[in-house]
Amino acid sequence: MRDVEAPASAGGSAYGTHEFYWTRAEYTDVFGGLDDEGFGSRGRRWRGRPFWTTDYPKADRQFLVVLKKMIRLNVYGAEHPVSLADPQLRRYPLIYAVEVGHMDLTADEVRGLRSFLNAGGFLIVDDFWGPREWDQFQANIRRVLPGRSIVELPMDHEIFSAYYQIDSIVQVPNVRNAEAITRGYPGAHTWEKGGYVPHVRGIFDDKGHLMVVINFNTDLGDAWEWAEDPMYPLRYSTYACEMAANMIVYGMSH
Amino acid sequence: VFEFLFKYRPVYFEQGHLALGAPGSVRLWLVAAAVLGAIAVATYTMARGRARVADRAVMAALRVLLLGVLLLCLLRPVLVLSTVAPQQNFVGVLVDDSRSMQLQNEDGTRRSNFVTRLLTPGQSELLQKLSDRFTLRFFRFSSSASRIDGPGGLTYDGTHTDLAGALDAARQALSGLPLAGLVMITDGADNADRPLTDALVSLQAAGVPVFTVGVGDEEVSPDIELGRVEVPRSILTGSALVVDVVVTQTGMHRTTVPLIVESDERILAQESVTLGSEGEPVVARVRFHLDEPGPRRIRFRIPAQPGERVERNNARQVQIDVRSEREKILYFEGEPRFQVKFMRRAVEDDDNIQLVVLQRTAQSKFLRLEVDSADELAGGFPRTRAELDRYRGLVLGSVEASFFTHDQLQMIADFVSDRGGGVLFLGGHNAFAEGGWAGTPVEEVMPVVLGRSDPKFLAEVQVAPTPAGLAHPAVQLGAQDGDPSERWKALPPITVVNRISEVKPGATALLTAPAPDGDRQVILAHQRYGRGKALAFIPQDSWLWQMSADVPLDNQSFETFWQQMLRWLVDGVPRPVTLTLDHEHAERGESVRLTASVVDSSYLAVDDATVLARITSPSGVVSEVPADWTVDRDGEYVAQFVPSEEGEYEVQVSAARDGRVLGSDATYLRTAPSDDEFFSAGRRTRTLDRIAEETGGRFYTPETVASLPEDISVTGAGVTLVEEKDLWDMPALFILVVLLMGVEWGYRRTRGLV
Repeated sequence: MRDVEAPASAGGSAYGTHEFYWTRAEYTDVFGGLDDEGFGSRGRRWRGRPFWTTDYPKADRQFLVVLKKMIRLNVYGAEHPVSLADPQLRRYPLIYAVEVGHMDLTADEVRGLRSFLNAGGFLIVDDFWGPREWDQFQANIRRVLPGRSIVELPMDHEIFSAYYQIDSIVQVPNVRNAEAITRGYPGAHTWEKGGYVPHVRGIFDDKGHLMVVINFNTDLGDAWEWAEDPMYPLRYSTYACEMAANMIVYGMSH
Repeated sequence: VFEFLFKYRPVYFEQGHLALGAPGSVRLWLVAAAVLGAIAVATYTMARGRARVADRAVMAALRVLLLGVLLLCLLRPVLVLSTVAPQQNFVGVLVDDSRSMQLQNEDGTRRSNFVTRLLTPGQSELLQKLSDRFTLRFFRFSSSASRIDGPGGLTYDGTHTDLAGALDAARQALSGLPLAGLVMITDGADNADRPLTDALVSLQAAGVPVFTVGVGDEEVSPDIELGRVEVPRSILTGSALVVDVVVTQTGMHRTTVPLIVESDERILAQESVTLGSEGEPVVARVRFHLDEPGPRRIRFRIPAQPGERVERNNARQVQIDVRSEREKILYFEGEPRFQVKFMRRAVEDDDNIQLVVLQRTAQSKFLRLEVDSADELAGGFPRTRAELDRYRGLVLGSVEASFFTHDQLQMIADFVSDRGGGVLFLGGHNAFAEGGWAGTPVEEVMPVVLGRSDPKFLAEVQVAPTPAGLAHPAVQLGAQDGDPSERWKALPPITVVNRISEVKPGATALLTAPAPDGDRQVILAHQRYGRGKALAFIPQDSWLWQMSADVPLDNQSFETFWQQMLRWLVDGVPRPVTLTLDHEHAERGESVRLTASVVDSSYLAVDDATVLARITSPSGVVSEVPADWTVDRDGEYVAQFVPSEEGEYEVQVSAARDGRVLGSDATYLRTAPSDDEFFSAGRRTRTLDRIAEETGGRFYTPETVASLPEDISVTGAGVTLVEEKDLWDMPALFILVVLLMGVEWGYRRTRGLV
């Protein structure tokens, strides 16, 4: 856990009071570690924050409000980040990571995430776009799970019907693109960084258990973060919440 | 010595009563005695001399005593006895004809040698004396009793010893005859599992004394013996078994011997057992799995040790029906929980468990997993008994009691008590007291005592097995040998949110943990409830035993625990038709009773079914035997059959009503020569003593049996005569007179009064 804007009040001490903790994965990104001035060891960051904190904590907080309304779930009511290198990670069998197209995992994080996934943990990744970020993510996840293929999840996979029936994958835009669409700006679009087609991909273990679900060329986090914004189209927030509900129900039962 | 001093044996004095045979009034005799006594005292008091008062008193007392003894003789004391009239009474002689009579005594002779010696006409003085006084009737007995003409009819090949049955049979055969008593010659090693009391009460009522003659050594030494082994009659393939074997020994204390468990010549487990101190039993615990379906004959044995007297009591065999069936369990969870995911994964490779999950995800929205059809559980938790009864086990997760209607709560209780299903209550924020379960019909089913609800309670606990848990297969964590406690210690702590410290009376805690308040926290407990069983597993996150960073990835404890828990949950859950046999194994020609319990689809007993047993012999001969309703018990049908071949019999039973099949069940019976007679084969003196004492007879050993004919004459029933036996000429009285005179003389000499 790290002291960032609106620091998390959760952590190991809160464990056990609730069944479910919406746990955000802390990881090292391409800018390396963080210093007090907001510089990474490899250069200045965007807004001086590491990539794992993107949309954090507003997205998490808003999402938790909606999640409690959607699912009958004994969920911890605050943001809850845990480092991939923290041994406590394995107490939270479902974790969420964003902007994974910028991750550059340390050896400890690789080991931690590998052990988490092999023990039965479930990882949801989101908000990365285009071939360059894909390559970056793929390089990192291959370090974690060498030899495991990444496959496209078919629409008849149970993850699309675990709670809501989802018949098609929607590209959820970031807040700027979404507002542009709402305002009807010419050329407004949902894609960014060359990521034109949204995908839901997965990595399975030897027994066919889904270990990682990859939301690529889409930004579910922004849809939760800006769900209250009248300029953010409801259909994207709806899809993002439905997909999240399905991933959580699936990840807690399969 | 007694007989020398008092002229007759003690039994005479026990049976008779004392009287005085002198003519005239006793009062007159007493007056005369008083006068004589007074004269004696006066003589000693008034005589002149140097004797002091004390000397005079002592001598006067001795003289008075002497006069008293002489007076007693003059009163002619007699022993009044009721004795059996010679040659007017019968005596039944019952001889043990079982295999244990072939065992050797310490001196190398067989137990049966004594019988031969005792009962061979012309060679036995005892037999001659008995024949002179009584008309003898001989019986042989083992598992049954029958008349024989003499010792020639004995084969010592009986497979069981039924003392009560033998006494009953002889009493009935001789009823109506003047019976002086029964003589029972046996080692007393009864193994018929039949209480003696009824037979003894009947003999008491008929006034027939039993004279028991115990043969054989009381202690067979040196020897090792395995106690009876208890195992379930049927299990699912792959289930773990933990079996406690009691090993007793004599003359082999502190020896270490191997205990081998084998099936079909394959060794399943082996354990070293260090025997206890002399005569003290030790309990050897063996753990093994049975992976192949079908009837399995499991043999527990300790190889014969050098010098052992009886080798055939070193092994026990049991029959286990290993079933390869898919047992359907409903797991209802009130909210998404990781327990669902990890429990499903734990049993996903188990072909014998179908874990159907119904998980509430919103108020009226459910996730259904592993259902057989689109309709199954479509409406949520079952609303009818028939819907619920299709499952053999029920797991209730963190769900508040108010979710259910009263009828559903009652249905859950009935599922356990009437249907005989297994229910497992899991801990959680909405379970037990915190879920409002107190005061519901289901609370009674729970094996734990619900305390006051404390929604804020949270404790981290380190789980450990109780002594009962160490012996329970469900909590072994796959330990094949050694103590599973070490495996439990290696698991990380988990959390509980339900404060439970007590189990119900009759329930057993298998896992506990120290609680923060110093008391204990119950982790796993179970109890029988009606026909079924109820389990409570309190932790909310046992999946940490897999997910915790402290647990190596290859540690299978979590999977093993839940596989065994769910197997245990459905183990022994009755089917519509349940077949049991009264024997695990039988001998050729031994009658076997089969009992079938029949219920309908609502698990209500059926008394008007047509129940047919189909018995297939080892050679493939099929016979059908109808089973009849017992009338005593609802839904219970019995039939008997007598196996005529050695080997494995398959017994199938099917029940139908109005042409509709209610169900069927099958089991196996092995027929082979039994070794039962070689277990606990030492002479049972206490049993034989009890038979004699409670019927008014006596107990003898080969060394004391010579007085038997005379004793029967004195103590026996039948046609009797009253006899008076003089006691005045008892040597004891003469010795007393001489003694008193001698003492007086000696006293005078000592005191210088001669």
